[in-house]
Amino acid sequence: MQFSSAGKPPLGIVYDSDFGMSAESVLALALLRGFAGKNISRLVGISISSPNLKAAQLCDVVEKYYASATTGMAAMFFQGPPLGLAEKGKTADSPLMKAVLDLKDPDGKHIYESRIADINDTAVGQVVIRNMLMAQHAGNAAIVSAGPATNLAKLLMLRGAADLIQDKVKFLVLTGGDYPKGKSETNFTADIDAIRKVLADWPTPIIIAGRELGKALPYPAESFEKDFSYAPHHPVADACRVAGSSDIPAAALAAALYANQADAGYFKLSDTGTLSISEDGASTFQPSGDGKHRFLLFDPEKKQQIIEKYREMVSAKPVPRMLRRPPQQNADPPKPDPAKPPTAEKKS
Amino acid sequence: MITRKALNRRTFLRGTGAAVALPFLDSMVPAMANAATKTERPVRMAFLYVPNGIDMRNWNPDYEGKLTHLPRILKPLENFKEHFNLVSNLTHNAGRALLDGAGDHGRCCAAYLTGVQPKKTMVDIKAGISFDQIVANKIGSQTRFKSLELAMEDARQAGDCDSGYSCAYTNNLAWRSETQPLPPIMNPRILFERLFGEDATLSPEARKRRNQYRLSVLDLVSADAKKLTGELGPSDKRKLDEYLSSIRDIELQIEKAEKDNSQIDPGLDKPYGIPADFADHFRLMTDMMTVAFRADLTRVMTFLMTREGTSRAYREIGIPDGHHPLTHHRNQEDLMEKVAQINTYHVQQFAAWLEKLQSIQEGDSTLLDNSMIVYGAGLSDGNRHLHEDLPTLIAGKGGNRFKTGRRIVYRRETPMCNMFLTMMDRMGAPADDFGDSTGRLEGLDLT
Repeated sequence: MQFSSAGKPPLGIVYDSDFGMSAESVLALALLRGFAGKNISRLVGISISSPNLKAAQLCDVVEKYYASATTGMAAMFFQGPPLGLAEKGKTADSPLMKAVLDLKDPDGKHIYESRIADINDTAVGQVVIRNMLMAQHAGNAAIVSAGPATNLAKLLMLRGAADLIQDKVKFLVLTGGDYPKGKSETNFTADIDAIRKVLADWPTPIIIAGRELGKALPYPAESFEKDFSYAPHHPVADACRVAGSSDIPAAALAAALYANQADAGYFKLSDTGTLSISEDGASTFQPSGDGKHRFLLFDPEKKQQIIEKYREMVSAKPVPRMLRRPPQQNADPPKPDPAKPPTAEKKS
Repeated sequence: MITRKALNRRTFLRGTGAAVALPFLDSMVPAMANAATKTERPVRMAFLYVPNGIDMRNWNPDYEGKLTHLPRILKPLENFKEHFNLVSNLTHNAGRALLDGAGDHGRCCAAYLTGVQPKKTMVDIKAGISFDQIVANKIGSQTRFKSLELAMEDARQAGDCDSGYSCAYTNNLAWRSETQPLPPIMNPRILFERLFGEDATLSPEARKRRNQYRLSVLDLVSADAKKLTGELGPSDKRKLDEYLSSIRDIELQIEKAEKDNSQIDPGLDKPYGIPADFADHFRLMTDMMTVAFRADLTRVMTFLMTREGTSRAYREIGIPDGHHPLTHHRNQEDLMEKVAQINTYHVQQFAAWLEKLQSIQEGDSTLLDNSMIVYGAGLSDGNRHLHEDLPTLIAGKGGNRFKTGRRIVYRRETPMCNMFLTMMDRMGAPADDFGDSTGRLEGLDLT
């Protein structure tokens, strides 16, 4: 989408995650869609850091849901940019994926159908991120990473990518570790080399949403029964119900919320420092004046406000929007100043 | 005892104001050469670019792997399906708007071989060196011409051809440097003179005499040809005879076009000597491309079939509408049908050229086997100006290196520049990267 003649558009966000491996990864996508629906940000690209085709299919189902709800029949026509998927390997299918992709109606027909049939219907993760960043204005993009850093590390290895990131990406928000020290962490152990490379070489600030923050700000399970009643089937609710009746720890939601409203005061920030990862995936944050990393810190006073914001955005009903912007018209045109003579209209 | 001395590969038949390079002859291979040397032939590379995208509904088969039934637009290639690969999902991100707004036709053509997003301007144009020119710079010293750039429609270089993009972007494929496109030749006579003429060396009297009597280039080199024929074996004699006949045939086609001098299309200017019929023009240009490859005059050619964004009408096949407006069909069936007809018509011409290339033996293989002929476009769906899944067909085996006869589907967003890197390897001009490449295109080779 082009905004060149209308000044800078809202912040463009790229979402990179191990989608579908946990409920929080799905919730974060829903939250990003909620903010995008209100024109607070734009979700410009999605990549998946776990090499699992079912993850891509689940993600496509969610994306298709939002696209069809917002653009109606044109959803199939405007398929949007392709999903990025990590290149090699295989991770086991998660219960969330099965819960949505295998869901059938009483006639045995699948409720949700993905447009992704095989790996060639997806793109290489780092290529999607690079191509999407190229279409953003300088300093007008952010990346939310909630999973292994595989795609981001490979992005850094593409020719010219470091300069591109430097130019376009305001900050990277990633999930993992605990402040100031964390035990072994799946996001890190899944690709130790990748997270180390990203922490060392990423050219713009890195903000970290730790696990302790996710636990302190869980997404309420009751939301799935109360907030999604506008739709008989909603892939986000259908996926997350698998998590049961417990509230869902969600560092990914904190990361996505910060990316959208960094200045809203939902979180405090730690001093700058450097996060290092040991061989077993444990993390240590060492404060330093010249460090590029900062943690998001929990503020108990903001808890209620944050949870409400989560619920509002995650369950936001997609609003149909027009495919083309209507001509700009003033609802109430200014009245001519009788003191001034009328001036000739300018042609553009 | 073997005493025969091999004929020099660079032998020319010369006459006053003419120089005709020879095709590969058996006599050019030393009698004691080993098998590898005997069969080794240079690899050639050409790009045929078609504008305004292609009706992808009728281009992409609904299967991967071995080519069996071909979609409608590719049907004319039915007899050649063992000799090409159809490659899907290649993308030119540099052709997309990114932050530059409208102008997809200008961008897609300029980005096609350069792999970079051109500067949106009508004045101080800037793109990048095209990869064919990198190859030409590397291997061009081995041939008479480093490369040849051809087209079939006017190559205006100035003015606005697409939403603020200079015509230099829509009318050129090859770029010598980031600011210097290489304008293509569209006039067959000019191309012929370039290939065989040496007018610069002619005295004014000789030039006058030649024009006055319209001497064939073969007349000019007849003494050399006669002498050489006496030294050749029966097989080479046949080859040479057939080769010289093909040149004569080209000359006759050019003369006929010059005599006809009729209008290509009402309302469009037609330079003198351009065949009125699209198919005739295409055949004439590709006949000369065949000779240029066969005689190793060059190994690198680009051919802009018509300029990007063209509104050329195709009255030859009963379509008076402009090509470009038709491609913005908004899914109207009658308009889409006409686009499919134009696309098919183009492929029919291409098929005739492939037949010619396949008919020319080079040792144990054919000229087509020793080539990589890419047929493609800088847009896929012209209606929506899409820059992904660009229609791409690679004919020939690249020197018996490619396994052909398949549709190969890559992952979405695979950079087109990855294919260029693979082709650069085959042309003997390898590079670490080009444009937005992320690696080589796997799966084309035999192994």
